[in-house]
Amino acid sequence: MRIVVIGHGMVGSRFAQDAVTRIPDAHLTVLGREPHAPYNRVLLSSVVAGKAAADGIALDAPAHDRIDVRQGVAAVEIDRERRIVTASDGTLHRYDRLVLATGSAARIPQIQHVADPDGLVRGVAVLKDLADAQGILAALPKARRAVVLGAGVLGLEVATGLAARGLAVTLVHHADRLMERQLGSAASQIAEGSLARLGISVVTTTSVTRVIERRGRVSAVELGTGAEVLTDLLVMCAGTIPETALARRAGLPCERGVLVGEDLASPADGAVFAIGDCAQPPEGGTGLVAQGWDQAARLVEAWAGDGAGTAAGEAPAPTTTVVRVKATGLEVVTMGLSGKFDHGERELRAVRISDPAIGRFVEVVVSHGLLVGATVVGDKATATDLQALYTRMLPVPTDPAHLIVRPIPGAGPARRSVAEMDDDDTVCQCNGVTKGRICDAIAAGCATPQDVSRATRASTGCGDCKPQVKELLEAHATSEDRTPALAGAGEAR
Amino acid sequence: MTAPQPTTVAAAPLAAAAVATHCPYCALQCAQSLAVTPGDRLPVAVAGREFPTNRGGLCQKGWTSAEVLRASDRITTPLLRTADGGFRSASWDEALDLVAGRISALQAESGNDAVAVFGGGGLTNEKAYALGKFARLALRTRLIDYNGRFCMSSAAAASNRSLGMDRGLAFPLSDLAGADAVLILGSNMGATMPPFVQHLAGVRERGGLVVVDPRATVTAKLTLDGAGIHLAPVPGSDMVVLLALLHIVLAEGLQDAAYLDARVEGLDAVRRSVAQWWPERAEAVTGIPADSLRAVARTLADASPARGGRGAYILTGRGVEQMAQGTDCVSAAINLALALGLIGRVGSGYGPVTGQGNGQGGREHGQKADQLPGYRMITDPAARAHVAGVWGVDPDSIPGAGVPAVQLLASLGTAGGPRALLVHGSNVVVSAPNAIAVEERLRALDLLVVCDLVPSETAMLADVILPVTQWAEEDGTMTNLEGRVIRRRTAVAAPGEARSELWILRELAARLGCDALFSDDPETMFDEMARASAGGKADYSGISYARLDAGEELFWPCPASSAGEPAHPGTPRPFTSTFPTPDGRARMVPVTHRGPADEVRPGATTYLVTGRVLQHYQSGAQTRRVAELAQAQPEAFVEMHPLLAERLGLGQGDVAVLTSARGEAAAPVRLTTDIRVDTVFMPFHWAGVGSANRLTNDATDPVSSMPEFKVTAVEIRAAVRDLDLKGALR
Repeated sequence: MRIVVIGHGMVGSRFAQDAVTRIPDAHLTVLGREPHAPYNRVLLSSVVAGKAAADGIALDAPAHDRIDVRQGVAAVEIDRERRIVTASDGTLHRYDRLVLATGSAARIPQIQHVADPDGLVRGVAVLKDLADAQGILAALPKARRAVVLGAGVLGLEVATGLAARGLAVTLVHHADRLMERQLGSAASQIAEGSLARLGISVVTTTSVTRVIERRGRVSAVELGTGAEVLTDLLVMCAGTIPETALARRAGLPCERGVLVGEDLASPADGAVFAIGDCAQPPEGGTGLVAQGWDQAARLVEAWAGDGAGTAAGEAPAPTTTVVRVKATGLEVVTMGLSGKFDHGERELRAVRISDPAIGRFVEVVVSHGLLVGATVVGDKATATDLQALYTRMLPVPTDPAHLIVRPIPGAGPARRSVAEMDDDDTVCQCNGVTKGRICDAIAAGCATPQDVSRATRASTGCGDCKPQVKELLEAHATSEDRTPALAGAGEAR
Repeated sequence: MTAPQPTTVAAAPLAAAAVATHCPYCALQCAQSLAVTPGDRLPVAVAGREFPTNRGGLCQKGWTSAEVLRASDRITTPLLRTADGGFRSASWDEALDLVAGRISALQAESGNDAVAVFGGGGLTNEKAYALGKFARLALRTRLIDYNGRFCMSSAAAASNRSLGMDRGLAFPLSDLAGADAVLILGSNMGATMPPFVQHLAGVRERGGLVVVDPRATVTAKLTLDGAGIHLAPVPGSDMVVLLALLHIVLAEGLQDAAYLDARVEGLDAVRRSVAQWWPERAEAVTGIPADSLRAVARTLADASPARGGRGAYILTGRGVEQMAQGTDCVSAAINLALALGLIGRVGSGYGPVTGQGNGQGGREHGQKADQLPGYRMITDPAARAHVAGVWGVDPDSIPGAGVPAVQLLASLGTAGGPRALLVHGSNVVVSAPNAIAVEERLRALDLLVVCDLVPSETAMLADVILPVTQWAEEDGTMTNLEGRVIRRRTAVAAPGEARSELWILRELAARLGCDALFSDDPETMFDEMARASAGGKADYSGISYARLDAGEELFWPCPASSAGEPAHPGTPRPFTSTFPTPDGRARMVPVTHRGPADEVRPGATTYLVTGRVLQHYQSGAQTRRVAELAQAQPEAFVEMHPLLAERLGLGQGDVAVLTSARGEAAAPVRLTTDIRVDTVFMPFHWAGVGSANRLTNDATDPVSSMPEFKVTAVEIRAAVRDLDLKGALR
């Protein structure tokens, strides 16, 4: 089976590796527009923030004699009649099955003077691929101020990353709140408070309308409010657009993305499939890599299973849309129903805690004993527990409030000093020796820890109770000092 | 034989008539001194003995171990099954004639593989060796495997493929004392081998102890008060913790580049494979905050020698190894240790914490389906030729590789499967996964012969029970978790007619017409084993009883030296100069997280993890017979978080019924906040309805054949009635 994969990003490369492993007769050609080995696009913001090295985010793509990877070679045309893909280097690639994994492109908003005929004005950037990240890194040494446009996940990560590098950052967002698809107003306000503590100015309900150049570089931007903001850098994080140009030219039905059915095949051509950000499956695209990886796995499973390649395995896993901002000093995690969601006919219980003073907001949404959504700002531990419950669809406690209020660490039986213990409390766990037995041994004449160990076996296992045994000996010695009669009894042994 | 045995490591001279030996239970093999006490209720008085591993310490199991010598139901004569389903005493001749006769008849009818052998990781090296030899030469069967498959197989497989050798800890335990960080995954040594904890005192003082466990175990609590960090991952996700830690190490450039260049292959592929496990993604899978993962990665890196630390160790236990991805999980741990430059450096390292008493030696000398003595592969013609030479047989007469434990047990009594099984040192009805099915298989056999001390649950299914000696009644050697070879010594005679398995194998071999050497003298068998191991990975050929009895501390490999040369000193720390791989370099192996075979799902929404309690050992056949231990932990239980219990309508002490895809079990609830809300814990020491292994999954690891004991998806409900549970359960 000859498979041509267009796109060598996170999803295309994963698909190729899985396919060649699971399908013995698969021969793959992978066309990758970028001149790099595949890399972890999710970590580009970490590269900008200085938390990951640009050369440290490569993904596993070992060479295989049934995979022909063409790096730096784009697909320019698909001839579906003859099942041939033409590449930018003029080569032709015949396929039995074609997989589009072309990903998405950064959306560039309507901004005056944002670009000239050579491309974006110097100092203006998007962050979609490794070259973009390297461009931003190159601009950093001379930059003191930055404007980030768009307060979605990427915008927040870039803004906090640049702030952590010491730049004065202004975050401009078109909606009235941050991450408006995920956050409600209350959660957003608390997140804005966290940003303020990081020194980031947030301007909402407006956009950048004009780029002001000086000597060929951006020097300021003008906002919709008319205000001008001085800046050395403008990073546009205004969303993405599925890469569908090639598919459209080939006559494949596209809406926002390349339309595919549950089997991930185009309704117009059973030999053409689309996965990852470029695809628009019936349940909709999330723009998250988890969905693309799931699609890659399902497609391989279907083709490896019966070779018919008509059904893409099981139905898609329920979309576990966990959205998490990777930023130092700003903890935002949402999952499922969050922000301003429609209750519909469902029986939902939404329970929340709002604690602006310390930058904490938690809301959980429970339906029929399952967690169906959550919003967490500023509470890592709770966010982590909720993700485990949500992604595995595990039942939640009877009262959803328990999901929000975590037990105080160390709650439960307090650690008591040995003096406070009762006689039948265990001091030596390894040998099950109670305080009473140790005290009896001391009363019977044991004067050193070694004596007590010999008599009771206490402290002869892990030895962690040695201090307590010593304390009991000392307490006894002190009481002997006060009670000469008892001391005398000790000598008499 | 019972004379005092001074050793160079004994601090105090032993009292007259005291015998220096080691504890009968776990792989720490705490040194004991047994004072013979004629006329007392118990024949010996046990005391801890100064030794580098236990430093004189013993746990409650060790202190009370003499009780098992006089267990009230100790078997003292051979027992034969009677027509009415009971047992009657028999003479050794009658029992052995019967066993040999039935074996011969079954093999004549159905071929040599009609008879199989199941061994144990508690047998001495000599017994383990003799058993392997007996299977191959006297029974001429391929089919031998052992319960170590349930114990160390994943760690062994991963160590072999990365380091070229599986030598357990690969460093003396006392080395841990100097480390700045110790990462422990899936081991609860604070409860299972308490004297071990003494070696963690230094790292706790320096705040560098990291324990990864879904429960806040005794061991996890050693991290309290600033001693370190406890991470409680979702069961089955430990491997992602390791992948993420390596991701962070590489992303932040914390690896030991010089060491990697000089000593390690395969970094690039591993770097790419962990690239997909950035901390925030790992957080969603493991339930551990990304920042905690970062903190742990930095703690380990700061402790590594390359970054000026005093050293770091990574230790794995069954919690991460008893998985269908157990081998890969250990590889992930080794990859991390290699990236940090820990393995083969004095003061740093990786090691699996062996469980069973002779779990290490038991896996080296031929009890494994594919193995010959000296850790040799039975499929290797050179290995076969060498061992055949020592045994004095034609190499072609040695059968080929058999099948691993789970597969072996599942085939018993099936069409074409074995019709007879000999069991030595194992209580599979309680300790094997999917135990209900295992019991069915044992019942389907034509002949089940069990060698045991006491009527264990497995022995009670036997056609013939042969009474054997135990710990204080026999001589031999054990190899502890450090790869240190130690001496077990006789203090007292066994009661009644109990005999050493060495004697039983000798008698059976003779009756089966096999003239190869089977001696009931342990030293004779040891010396032959040493020669058989010569040139193998686990080379014991330079070790002798004389050297051990003189107090030498010998770790394998310890090859024989040529005449005139000084004796080989043994190898406490292999890997310091090279790895025993073809090119002398360690190998990083890229691995993929697949998750548990039995993942939680609607209808099975809670994770079950299993493990031990301090007072009991393995299937409990020994410890459940010690009154003090049975009193402290009398029955199985289900540990659960109050929030889970409340949803299920269960309270403290109520009986919970757990259902998995394989069966049901029931036990009283113990409430604790020391466990994740999504997880329950059951100890596996009990038989009957409280047996955790009625629930566990017999899905196995593709490399090691380790079953997935440690993650089971269960549904839990309150028992309708506390009484008559037995009848209600499937």
